[in-house]
Amino acid sequence: MGSSLKNSFFLVLAYYREVVKELLSNKVNLVFMVLALVLSLTAINTIYALGKSAEKQVLDTLANLNFGKDAILILAGGQRFMGVGLTRSDTLKLEDAKALEKLSFVKLVSPTSGGTLEVSYKGQVEKIRVEGVFPVYAPANTWNVKVGRFIEDEDLEKLNKVVVLGSDIPKKFGIANPIGDKILISGQHFTIVGILEEKPSFGHFPLNERVFVPFTTAQRRLFNRDYITAIKIVLQPTAEQRISVPLIRSILRQRHNLYGIAEDDFRIITPDFVLARFLSAQRVLQTFLLAISLISLVISGVVILNLMSAMVEEKAGIIALRRALGATNRIIFIHYIAMSLTVALFSGFVGWLLSLGVMHLISAFTPLKPLFSWTTFGLSLIFSVATSLIFSVIPATRATKVEPAILLKSL
Amino acid sequence: MSEPLILLRDIKKVFVVGKISYEVLKGVNLEVFAGDFLAIMGPSGGGKSTLLYILGLLDKPTSGSYLFEGREVSTLSEAEMAHLRNQKIGFIFQAFHLVPWATALENVLLPTLYRGSITEKDVKRASLLLDRLGLQNKQNLKPAELSGGEQQRVAIARALINQPSLLLADEPTGNLDSKSSQEVVKILKELNEEGLTIILVTHDPEVAKSAKKVKFLKDGVFVEE
Repeated sequence: MGSSLKNSFFLVLAYYREVVKELLSNKVNLVFMVLALVLSLTAINTIYALGKSAEKQVLDTLANLNFGKDAILILAGGQRFMGVGLTRSDTLKLEDAKALEKLSFVKLVSPTSGGTLEVSYKGQVEKIRVEGVFPVYAPANTWNVKVGRFIEDEDLEKLNKVVVLGSDIPKKFGIANPIGDKILISGQHFTIVGILEEKPSFGHFPLNERVFVPFTTAQRRLFNRDYITAIKIVLQPTAEQRISVPLIRSILRQRHNLYGIAEDDFRIITPDFVLARFLSAQRVLQTFLLAISLISLVISGVVILNLMSAMVEEKAGIIALRRALGATNRIIFIHYIAMSLTVALFSGFVGWLLSLGVMHLISAFTPLKPLFSWTTFGLSLIFSVATSLIFSVIPATRATKVEPAILLKSL
Repeated sequence: MSEPLILLRDIKKVFVVGKISYEVLKGVNLEVFAGDFLAIMGPSGGGKSTLLYILGLLDKPTSGSYLFEGREVSTLSEAEMAHLRNQKIGFIFQAFHLVPWATALENVLLPTLYRGSITEKDVKRASLLLDRLGLQNKQNLKPAELSGGEQQRVAIARALINQPSLLLADEPTGNLDSKSSQEVVKILKELNEEGLTIILVTHDPEVAKSAKKVKFLKDGVFVEE
């Protein structure tokens, strides 16, 4: 048994040597077959891996923003994803936030009232996003101060004119020793009491270029209004968004006297929703590119079909000889399939390697990080093998039809 | 008398090209016994190669009966015919038909690959065959590095590796100079003297002379010359 196994092994090896030698006997053909596959495989792998990388980056950023699975953001005004709503946006009130606070599945509620105001320091004037917040804002957004302190209850009670700066603000205004220094917001002096940690920015939202003042101070002294702009809600870990989000929506609709077909005058933004919004465009593009590269793979297949057919034609004499020497049709068929498999595995590997290189190159010019994944490696091999197998069946079958008569001098 | 190795009865072969059909063999009868050395001569287009092709189990006749070692060939499957070609029949061609990327030794071993086993014994036997045919120092050379005569001797070794009962040769000296031709003919004669049955197709009367029997094929039938 052992020796017959050993014999079979040597036999397969001997067969395979024939396959490889025949492949190497026409290097130009071989190079073009490999090239055809490698190019489209590199494209497919790169597109797939970059898509995955972009997705991962969005997820990571969301996690950094603490827009985790347990967070919900309610924005005043309806019908738009971000920015100013299309409906009335003066209907969201502090009382809404207080009502939601009573829900058992809610852990933290952080109402904010924000707007873009003129902020100046030593004559430099900038339009800056100012948020009126409660102390709960920091834990609700897992956003801690780096220096000094955050807004405190006392600040709200006394309508203190204190401000906590986003990490980019001191640099923007060139404030050397911010704590204790003063800046002007809408012409009023505010004392700097703290600076926040830096948060990774997400898309077009420069989070670190914001300033935070006590909620009550913002409402009375800056905006002079009784409505709020957003409520950030952190759910209990056991709460399910699938259930809690519709419930919150119905409570708010009821509180805002919205019935029947009336549009929401608020937006509930969940991490899934954000992710879906940010990923959908990218996915459409990725799908489109993948479709193009799949077409290119079919073209590669046709190239293989042609080159293999040419090879079968060129090697007809040798195929006929093999038949004369006792090779069955099955052996000849397997011989050519093995040839294309060899090309496929080699090309799949090279295509995958190249895609890693291309990804590194792309990552040098874009924020996308190269992603190593066994999935793309497997994908590369599978696509490669499938393409070459499908398109080499015809030439391999043709090889079995070669008439040994061509070996003989004349008929 | 013992059973013939080959028994052909009224073998006909018709080729159809488009709407026209050509009857290349028009009822060939032949008996070949073990140990025979038969030369088939005749004009071009007379059907010599077609006959050799049928004898070598590379094609089936359109009609008639072909018994090889007592077995009716027309009933055999493609795989069975391949097996018989591999085990019982050795071929030598005018154009040698060696695999260009394989060494002399590898070329000789090729039929053992299709037999489904290569053993140490096979390698030794291939080497001995090449030695015997005067190629002891050229076993690892590729066909392009060998002369025509040497290439044909490699082809002979390849035809003999599976110890066939029949050797078919199609103009084996057609591409060789007279010295190499003589060598090849000498080898064939020796092999026949050792008991190998040989059928060769040739134009060359000198080559035909080395055979024990000569038959003439003209217009698809054997004729008396």
